[in-house]
Amino acid sequence: MTTHIEFPFAPRPPAEAVEHLRRLMADRPMTKVTMPYGGDVWIVHRNRAARQILSDRRFVREPFRTGEREVPFFVPFPDFLRTTLQFEDPPQHTRLRRLVQKAISPRRVRDMRDSAVAFAGELIDGMIARGGVRNLVAEYAVPLPIEMLSSLLGVPSSDREKFERWSSSTLSVAGKSEQEIAADMGELAAYMTGLIAKRRAEPRDDLLSSLAHAHERDETLTDAEILPIAFLLIVGGFDNTANFLTTGVLSLLRSDEQRELFLTDPDGLAPTAAEEVLRHGNFMMGGPVGGGGGLVPFVATEDVVIDGQLIAAGEAVSLDPGAANHDPDVVPDPGRFDITRTDNPHLMLSYGMHHCLGAPLARMELQVGLAEIFKRLPQLRLAGEPVVRHDVLTQPMTDLPVTW
Amino acid sequence: MPKVFYTQPDGRQDVIEAAAGDSVMQTAVRNGVSGIVGQCGGSLSCATCHVFLAEENADDFAPVGDDEDEMLDCAATERQDNSRLSCQLILREGHEVHVTIPETQL
Repeated sequence: MTTHIEFPFAPRPPAEAVEHLRRLMADRPMTKVTMPYGGDVWIVHRNRAARQILSDRRFVREPFRTGEREVPFFVPFPDFLRTTLQFEDPPQHTRLRRLVQKAISPRRVRDMRDSAVAFAGELIDGMIARGGVRNLVAEYAVPLPIEMLSSLLGVPSSDREKFERWSSSTLSVAGKSEQEIAADMGELAAYMTGLIAKRRAEPRDDLLSSLAHAHERDETLTDAEILPIAFLLIVGGFDNTANFLTTGVLSLLRSDEQRELFLTDPDGLAPTAAEEVLRHGNFMMGGPVGGGGGLVPFVATEDVVIDGQLIAAGEAVSLDPGAANHDPDVVPDPGRFDITRTDNPHLMLSYGMHHCLGAPLARMELQVGLAEIFKRLPQLRLAGEPVVRHDVLTQPMTDLPVTW
Repeated sequence: MPKVFYTQPDGRQDVIEAAAGDSVMQTAVRNGVSGIVGQCGGSLSCATCHVFLAEENADDFAPVGDDEDEMLDCAATERQDNSRLSCQLILREGHEVHVTIPETQL
């Protein structure tokens, strides 16, 4: 007689959550859950099973894109996200994705690293000059990715405030009316359309220029295809990265042992520390951790057996990074925050053809952001508790008071 | 059974017995070989499974295709004449393949 291991489960202290996930993954690879919106979905816990699904093309997103089916999710899924690359399948996905990936490639991002270091330095100079208790989110973690994304895309960073507003509007799950959201989206579309036209007339060395000129090589790339790509990059591009960076700094501030280790060689440890923050940072915030949600789901096009479990044709399936990142089969001692882990197969940026488009950029910013702040301010410490905003999809931190 | 010899930038070597039909990337990821990320799972869209293929194996695989060629230009470590994306190196029965892993993939 075995006891049923509960999933979803209510928030509990991080160590208990890790233990619960261990028992859950020992019990079964996935759980069928009825979401608040869109009906049932298999939520896959085990890391290897999750990777198998993410690299199996029998799982597609077409029924969500066409609207044939509602996306099973914990909030009504934002409509505009359904028009992006994330919801395309091959061959259309392959074509668009490769086009954009070349502009956000590991190589391109490597060339941006020096300017990221310089800009992080300017932001820290500003914090030092102002002194006292500073908000790390507003003064460091948000402006850094916005600056990088602006220079990559080719939009003026002076329009930063507009991006912040548009982004929080598009990701909004509460507090904004449909009219307000539609107005913000319309403004963003007009802004980007204008910029694309400008870059088409006078190309520069940026992503919008290369997208605007892609039609010369490939007749079928239209403004209607370029626009959602630009949207996706703006919205996904700084909100998530800013949150990862804030989480990373907070994780190190919460662990004296790992922070002291990090301070011995910030540049050398930044790559593995960044991966560990992605894997385990959400368990280091200081509060309890629950389990429930998954990444954007797929639909099975035929019956598929994964890790012994049948996923029937037409059923939806989603990945649970919280569990997969703590799967003891691939992560030894998963409850330990260890910034020196070298093999870290977390799924925070997903995997397979839909893995995070901005992954190389996000990683670089996280590495630079962590290393620079602790090199300049090794005495950095918390001056209060973080403030989390619950009315947008990604639940970002909006204030992390720090001093030094 | 195919066998892959992975040499790390520091000279350390992992020898992995692989399955025919798997790629050099899949074999590395499944067996926890460091330094090969393969984040896109072999869909030629991330350039994070870059390897240097030993000269003796140069003719064992299909030549670099257009898409692979384009993505190799995007790799974090400068490409060389023997650069390949290991997701495109599909192993056959009896193959013995030597690859060297670059300094960085990201």
